[in-house]
Amino acid sequence: MSAAPPSSNGLDRRLFLQAAGVGVGALLAGAGLAGQAEAAGGAPRLRDDPFRLGVASGEPASDGIVLWTRLAPRPLADDGHGGMARAGYDVRWQVAEDERFRRVVRAGTALALPELGHSVHPQVRGLRPGRQYFYRFQAQGHTSPVGRFRTAPGDRSRAAFSFATASCQAWYHGHFSAYRDLVARDPDVVFFLGDYVYEYGITAANMWRAAPAPGPRHELETNTLADYRVRYSLFKTDPDLQAAHAAAPWILTPDDHEVQNDYADEKSAYGISEEDFLLRRAVAYRAYYENCPLPPLALAQGPDARLHRRLRYGGLATLHVLDGRQYRDPKPANTEEQYAPGRSMLGAAQEQWLYRGLRTADTRWNLLLQQVGMVKVTENRVDQWDGYPAARQRLLDVLGERGVAPSVVFTGDCHRSIAGDLLADFADPDSAVVSSEFLGTSIASDGDGAPSDNYAKDWMQHPWMSFYDGRRGYVLGHADAGAVTAEYRAVPYVRADNQAAGFSLDRFRVEHGRPGMQKVS
Amino acid sequence: MTDTTDPATTAASATRAGRGRWDHTPGAVSGLTATGGLATVELTWHSYRPRRGQLVDHYEVYVSERADRGGDLAHSATLLGRTLYPHLTHRVGPEPRRRHYTVVAVVSSGARTRPARPVSAVSARSVAAGRAVARVGDFDHKGLEFALSPDQSARYRTAFPTGVDYRYGTSTPGRDWSYLHPGPSDAWGGRKEHTFALRFDLAAAPKDDLACALWLIDAHATAAGAAEVTLNGRPVRTLQFQGGATRGSLEGDATRVGSALKPSYYEFPLAADLFTAGENVLRLRKTSGSWIAYDALGVFAAE
Repeated sequence: MSAAPPSSNGLDRRLFLQAAGVGVGALLAGAGLAGQAEAAGGAPRLRDDPFRLGVASGEPASDGIVLWTRLAPRPLADDGHGGMARAGYDVRWQVAEDERFRRVVRAGTALALPELGHSVHPQVRGLRPGRQYFYRFQAQGHTSPVGRFRTAPGDRSRAAFSFATASCQAWYHGHFSAYRDLVARDPDVVFFLGDYVYEYGITAANMWRAAPAPGPRHELETNTLADYRVRYSLFKTDPDLQAAHAAAPWILTPDDHEVQNDYADEKSAYGISEEDFLLRRAVAYRAYYENCPLPPLALAQGPDARLHRRLRYGGLATLHVLDGRQYRDPKPANTEEQYAPGRSMLGAAQEQWLYRGLRTADTRWNLLLQQVGMVKVTENRVDQWDGYPAARQRLLDVLGERGVAPSVVFTGDCHRSIAGDLLADFADPDSAVVSSEFLGTSIASDGDGAPSDNYAKDWMQHPWMSFYDGRRGYVLGHADAGAVTAEYRAVPYVRADNQAAGFSLDRFRVEHGRPGMQKVS
Repeated sequence: MTDTTDPATTAASATRAGRGRWDHTPGAVSGLTATGGLATVELTWHSYRPRRGQLVDHYEVYVSERADRGGDLAHSATLLGRTLYPHLTHRVGPEPRRRHYTVVAVVSSGARTRPARPVSAVSARSVAAGRAVARVGDFDHKGLEFALSPDQSARYRTAFPTGVDYRYGTSTPGRDWSYLHPGPSDAWGGRKEHTFALRFDLAAAPKDDLACALWLIDAHATAAGAAEVTLNGRPVRTLQFQGGATRGSLEGDATRVGSALKPSYYEFPLAADLFTAGENVLRLRKTSGSWIAYDALGVFAAE
């Protein structure tokens, strides 16, 4: 019934070493693992509901989960502290087998500290595989909404699972009605593939969502930690986003806008010096951790965060969660630089980590969860893998190796629903298909969209492409031993309100042992 | 004087708020320096190193017109702005003035340091601090008073089909002077040279040289280009503009801390023999590159 001690929670030596650099007390207290080391005595009374940002779960394992909430009775308070006093607060959490919490199977207390924006990330272990659970938080007599999650199947299980991929939720461009449809489809897990928030100032020029303007606090680009905290709060006030978090565990990876558009490692695309930009990255990564159900390893040490990781979903799938921003080489200055053999999107260490993981995966599938388009489109799309052709070729070579389990790539970033196969050699359209890529559209970024647009011909000129649509939505997926299926779902509009009903655009499947996607009639 | 400060907050009130283990973080920001220049005071300091587990959320920079006894600004300074970086540019008016500054670091828990040891600096005198002979706009690091500001450049060719022809004393900035001056690289301007003219009357030609002040809130980042300046048809000089941030076509207030705008300032003498009694015309012809975004333009006499 109580949180297990750290030694039995998978917090290995490396984690402790990393945590030591960022405040091990705060980290472990927020993860509900600090035992009696911290106590929140004498904290000022919480008069108003502190759970206005909702609840979330993430990183589903066969025996555990990460829970999340952030205390914020006034989420949009200017100082970024959500209306909380500068004090620690005990947050009790419960995990139960039933929605009424009559059969509580795990419970504990995490400490919400101002250093981490009063967020908590309890690490729960000792759960049963492939089971649905319910969870909630309590603080000073206030009780949170109830969330639910399903643990991953046991390591040898080949039980099928459903999933969704989502990305690019520019709050100011529209409502998150796509999440209403997602919740109704009840996926087992949600993969969020980047651009959870946007750093841009929100002004009359880009406030397309039919809603009151958020005000002058949001008119400038995010810069300070307080700015990023308030920006997350603004986006997370959306009721459909909160519902989607409460409905399923999420596995998240960021793209560029969680920090700044088009950044590459320590380089800003907007003339900020590297020294200053690392300060910016540090506060942006900190706010990202504070606001998402992420594992402790994702808490940044200064400007560096370990965001790439591998998860197992039963015996069916190995999930390779990639970080395509923190280690990438900058945009190429010319074609020679673009095609340089040593150029990397993931950085050398992450590349080797990925290749090793792909080669040793003992699951039926390898699923790659990543940010920007991998399929070849045009030479000038240098922010995508088209800007890193040598690195793409190295990865394609590994994906095509005999003995590497079949793979499917899921991608965000492009604000379009696009599907295409990945070839062993894009210079030879007749070369073998080594994988397939499903690029998900945005939840709201770019407003309503249209079935086709000016970019369609760039993508669809190639024989390896199968699908293109420019409306808002997400990908609903299904994986079993025989196939991975991806259904593109869309909503007809997002700007006017959040009532648009979702519908299916098209559906594709990749069969095990038969490379290439096929349209499902 | 164009300081944009929030009088509600002082360094003293900010550091007095609350008591407890999360209210204060040890020490103070060190290495604070202030350097006065034309239209600016540049402030820099050493990055504050908080205890483990904390990050600097931001720095708060405070300014005061007077130094308190013992150099303590805690009771008189007002908040100039917040920044993540260990430096800030205070954009000030044309008049030379001594100001006093201090900085407080705020860390991720909300705790604050003590104010830094205050420093002071005097901004340089601009020619715009003199007597205005002719002037368009206010020298305040904002272009919001001009026509089409802050983001209506698409309407420029309709509103100003033959460029700008402005008569001092009769014309008004909001109607008769475009916030953006296109260059030959701008498709929205028809990819041609554009001339902005400032007409003004003098009862008599001046005995002494006058001076011109041109302040911009921004310019194109990589193609700011150049302009030829003439007075009564006679060449004065070619201005090579500094690169801006390519944001001034969309926003017009460079005084907001966090604004991406990159202002620049140009001041130069106008020889007395270029002027004439009656009508005089100062012209700026954008001869290369892309646009510039105006803060103010004027002809001034030393008082």
